[in-house]
Parts: sequence; structure tokens; C-alpha cells
Amino acid sequence: MIPEWMVGAPRPFDSVLVANRGEIAVRVLKAARESGLRGIAVYSDSDAGSLHVETADEAVHLPGDTLAQTYLNADAIIEAARSTGAQAIHPGFGFLSERADFAQAVQSAGLLWIGPPSGAIETMGDKISARRCMIDSGVPVIPGEEIAIDENPDHLGVLAAAAARVGYPLLIKASAGGGGKGMRAVHEPKMLRTEYEAAAREAAAAFGDGTVYVERLLTGARHVEIQLIADKYGACVHLNERDCSLQRRHQKVIEEAPSPAVTPSLRQAMGQAAVQAAQAVDYEGAGTVEFLLSSRGEFYFLEMNTRLQVEHPVTEMITGVDIVQKQFEVAAGLPLGFTQSDIGITGHAMEARIYAEDPSKGFLPAIGKLAIWRAPQGPGIRVDTGVREGDDVTVEFDPMLAKLVVHAPTRQAAARRLHNALSDFIALGVTTNIGFLRQMAINPIFTSGGITTDYLDSTSPSDFSQTEPDPSILVAIAAAASRFGLDRAATGGAQTSTFDEHTGHAGDPFRTLSRSFP
Amino acid sequence: MEWSIADSSPRYSVKLRDTDGTLTLTDLQSDGNEQPIPNISIRRDEQAGRLLVEVDGSARFVHAARVGDSWWIHMNGRIHVLHGHQPGSASADADEGGLSALMPGTILEVLVKEGQRVREGQTLLVMEAMKMEHRILAPKAGEVLAVNFAAGDRVDMGATLVELGD
Repeated sequence: MIPEWMVGAPRPFDSVLVANRGEIAVRVLKAARESGLRGIAVYSDSDAGSLHVETADEAVHLPGDTLAQTYLNADAIIEAARSTGAQAIHPGFGFLSERADFAQAVQSAGLLWIGPPSGAIETMGDKISARRCMIDSGVPVIPGEEIAIDENPDHLGVLAAAAARVGYPLLIKASAGGGGKGMRAVHEPKMLRTEYEAAAREAAAAFGDGTVYVERLLTGARHVEIQLIADKYGACVHLNERDCSLQRRHQKVIEEAPSPAVTPSLRQAMGQAAVQAAQAVDYEGAGTVEFLLSSRGEFYFLEMNTRLQVEHPVTEMITGVDIVQKQFEVAAGLPLGFTQSDIGITGHAMEARIYAEDPSKGFLPAIGKLAIWRAPQGPGIRVDTGVREGDDVTVEFDPMLAKLVVHAPTRQAAARRLHNALSDFIALGVTTNIGFLRQMAINPIFTSGGITTDYLDSTSPSDFSQTEPDPSILVAIAAAASRFGLDRAATGGAQTSTFDEHTGHAGDPFRTLSRSFP
Repeated sequence: MEWSIADSSPRYSVKLRDTDGTLTLTDLQSDGNEQPIPNISIRRDEQAGRLLVEVDGSARFVHAARVGDSWWIHMNGRIHVLHGHQPGSASADADEGGLSALMPGTILEVLVKEGQRVREGQTLLVMEAMKMEHRILAPKAGEVLAVNFAAGDRVDMGATLVELGD
């Protein structure tokens, strides 16, 4: 049945298949349920017991051992939609979300594609054509040069010549790269070969394409991106910026909105450029234009992500716009329902990405069982996750476990709330970056808003190490836990809370949590 | 049971006294040496995995979970890992010179040879796991005693990649 808000829409639908897994599949499936749509999941063998399957109204098994057979299998996913009567497909992010041929195939199969037109995906998906398109439409781009490596036998010679023209330090980017994969910084000519080979290998492994280009690496710059939403009638509104300057090897660590470095006039200029970029490719749906903001306040187009983004919640928190709900609306052919002047900023939001990785071992991904997993809760705290207590974290997929999002009236308050929420995040059994994020939330450069994209990569990991507490306390606790047989207690499933009927508090009201040792 | 914090020494052992379900410490040794006993009492809480810990009269909830031989502890906003050892068992440090794969993956490049001297932080090999490249660095200066894999090899988690001597 068509939900009431969609009645009369040009392209109504009553169900949506989410071609993804993990946190984002859960996010979209929940949004579908809230919108009165039937949500259908797909899952591989190892995801049979996953939260996203549990969240869906119906789920279809994708047989096979590899991603190509499962989450990247366009035919099987379209067939799953057909067999379950799903009328629309939402790709989430990653996987097939930026594959123009998939968008095309979905529509050819008579299904509604919840995403931009395939032409826009195609133009923006290739960094070289995106750059050319931006130059043509007057959006500023970083000085750089494109190199058709595949057509030239003397790869290194051509690359070195182009690198010399662009100037060092520079960035080698695989044209098909993304999410930090296939992207390498080169600070001096003698490292060019090593880094080029690494970039090409990573891109080939992740995306099956080895073409690269070089551009000037702007040091001391910030990563500021503009969220957009456009309808089929040509209306395109930006939902302000997100600042994602805290990065490690081009992977975002903490994102926030608004940016501490963006003034109202700069916001207007960047917003306008982003809208211009989107309109150049006849954009429709939700998308993000990423810019590099130099220390002198100049901004340059980096790329456009033609999909929902990991860090979209911070924008939702400060604007009150549910971006996934809006995606459903514009996919149904409804008008946006607001104009630029309706979009404001309320308070400040931050998102920390919780990864299964070990900061003390070079951020190597970690695996294991989430023996205890209790996410923080409270006013202004939102946790988007794809895992639950008892789940196994494996090497098969991206190691992101959750996104911890906080919202507070001011930036300072948001940083404090983030620090507190990270302190209350109990994730035992798998090594995570929670302790590292907690340190970052009180890092003076971060709290003063002075982070640039090169900060983490140019800072020694030992600068983030913490003083260890008295080992005898920890040893006593481990011995006591062992004596009590805590390991034999059921930790999964139903958590019985010691909610006190008299006080309305959990546990003894006179005891305090998280009090530091004297 | 003996305890160590993460992979580092020393080994601790404790004696606990149980008074109506409240545990206190009566003895603490570090590598066999007596240590001052902290003023700590620990009670089991009704919620699974939770303890009520009082140190010097100040109380807090602590979460603990066992995975394998390790206890994971969340206390005062931080997460710690303690390893349990059978008393008298071989030291975990015995194979400290070995560099093992922290996750399954593929070796992309081997940058050192047997017999080569390396400095601390030097890249020994490059492996790919979870679609990202990871550099395996020397944790200390020393001599490469053995390189157990070649480029292109698949490695399982825990496999010793390189053995490093003094």
C-alpha cells in the first residue's frame, strides 16, 4: 500500500529494497519503515544473522563467497527485488551506489532508482570527467593534470613529467578511487614510483581500474563539503556544510557541522558553487560536493559523491531534514517542499566513526566477538550501527561498527558531549578506536577548531597515548570477574536492567558512574 | 591465575577474600615481589557483565567480559585488556621477536632479507588486508632472522611474518 504522504506523487512506490549491509542498510531500512514503506534486505551467507536482516520486513539471501557474487551482483539484486515485489532500490553508500550501469539496469528492469540520474553518476564518478565538467561550469578546481596511464607504455616517464609540471608535494589519485583507496601523497620526486604503484594496486584491488591523475597537494587545508538535495523540477537546495578535516590517510575520523572555519558569506559562496556543480549534471536526489578549503579561504572542487554519505547525520542534526526520507520523496517525484531560505542551522553536531581497528598497531583492522556492546544514550546522542552484542566482527567487510553522533547548542558543548558519550561506549571483545576518538575529542587543536587534513598523518601516534591507570586495580578487577564467573554469565540478548522502582534510577542513586580515581 | 596488562610484563598474581559476596584484596605480587595492596572492594552487579568497584571509598560501575584468555574491562570511560596465564606457564614474551599478521591478507612486498639489520620503525613488508595496504614496521632495531612469506602469499591471522633478533 502506498503511504499517505506519497498519494498523488508522479512515481509512487510502496516498498524499497536496500542493496547494502551493515550500518547504512539498517539506517535506510528503519527510514523505510518510518515512512510506511516495506523494507527488503539482501544478505550474504555470513550476514544471515545480521542486524540489517533483522530490521527488514523481508530478506533475500544472495548465495556466493565473494562480494562480486553477493553485494556487488547487480543481476541477483535486481532479481531479489523482482521476486519480493520491491518497487524501488536504495543503494546506500559504497558497493553499487556509484555505478551508473547499475542505476541504468535498475530502471530498465522497471524499478525506481533512489539516486541521481545515471548520467550524473557517470560524469562525477570519473575524477577526470568530473574535473573537466567543473572547469566548464565555472567551479574552481585544484591545479592538476590528468594522465591516461592505460594508453601509454611509458607510465612513469609521463607521470614524472606531469608531476614536475604540477609541482610537489602532490597527490596521486586513481581515477576510480574513493574513500581514501587509491590515493597517495608524494612529497618528493624519488617517492613517485613507490607511491604510484601503491595507488594503482589499491585502486585495482578495490575497483578494478588502474588509471591515475596527479594534483597539487594543498597543505594546511580543510575538507569542507556541501550537502545537496535536488528534485526533478530543477530545485536544488544546499543543507549547509560539513567539516571533515580530521582524517587519517584520507579516511574521515570525526566530522562536524557547521564548520568552524566557514563564515556565513563563505557558506553562501560554497553553497552556490555546489548547486552550480549539481546543476551542471542535471542532478536529482541527495548528493555531496566536496571542497578543499585553503588556509587563505579559497575553495576548490575535490569531487562530487552522487549518493548518501556516511556523515549525513550531522547535517540532519543541525537542519532537521531527514535526508533519507527526502530521498524517498524526490524519488517518488515529489517537489522538495522547501527553499534555500527555509534551511537554517540549529546548534552544532559531531560524528565519530567507531572502527574495529587498533590505533596502537598502525590502525590495523581488528576482529573478534562483541562480548559486550552497549552504546551510549541520552539527550543529543544518536548511534547508527549495524552490529549488536554478540556479533562477530570479521575481515570480510568494512571495519566501521557504528557512527556516534552528538548534537548540542554550541561547538564546545558538542565536543564535550562527544567525549562523554565515547567514555560511556562499552565495546568489549574487539579492539576499537574509541579510546583514540576520546583523546581527539579533547585534543586542544580539535577543540579550538584548528584541525587541517594533514594533522593526523603528520602527528606521531605516541602523541595520543594516555597515561595508564594503576595496574593493580585492573588486575584485581580481572581476578574478581574471573572469580565471580562473569564469563559464564549470559551476556547476549536481553539485558536485565537494575532499574530501581523507588528512585527511578538504575542501580544505587548514591553511586556515581565514571568518577575518576582520586 | 597470573595476569599481565596487554602483552607487556610483569606478571601479577592476587589473593582475594570473599566476605558475603564482596571481594577484597589480601595479597598482590608482581613477578613474585610483594606489592602494596590497593584499597579496593568489588561486588557483582545484577546486570550481566557489570561489577560495582569501590576504590578508596569511591564507587563506580565497571564492565568486564572474557574473550579467550583475556579479560576486557571498561572502567572510567576507558577500555583495558588483561591477559590471564596459568601460573608458571611460559612467558608470552618468549616469542616477542616474531612479527605476526594481525589479520588475514596477502603479502604485497617484502622489503628485507634474512640477515639484514633493520632500524626501529623500518618497513619490513607491505601487506594488503581489507582492501587497504598496511606496512609492517620493525618494533625495534635488530637483525632479520627469518622471512616466512614472499610477495603474493596469502597469510592467516597470527602467522609469523618476520622473525627479528637483537
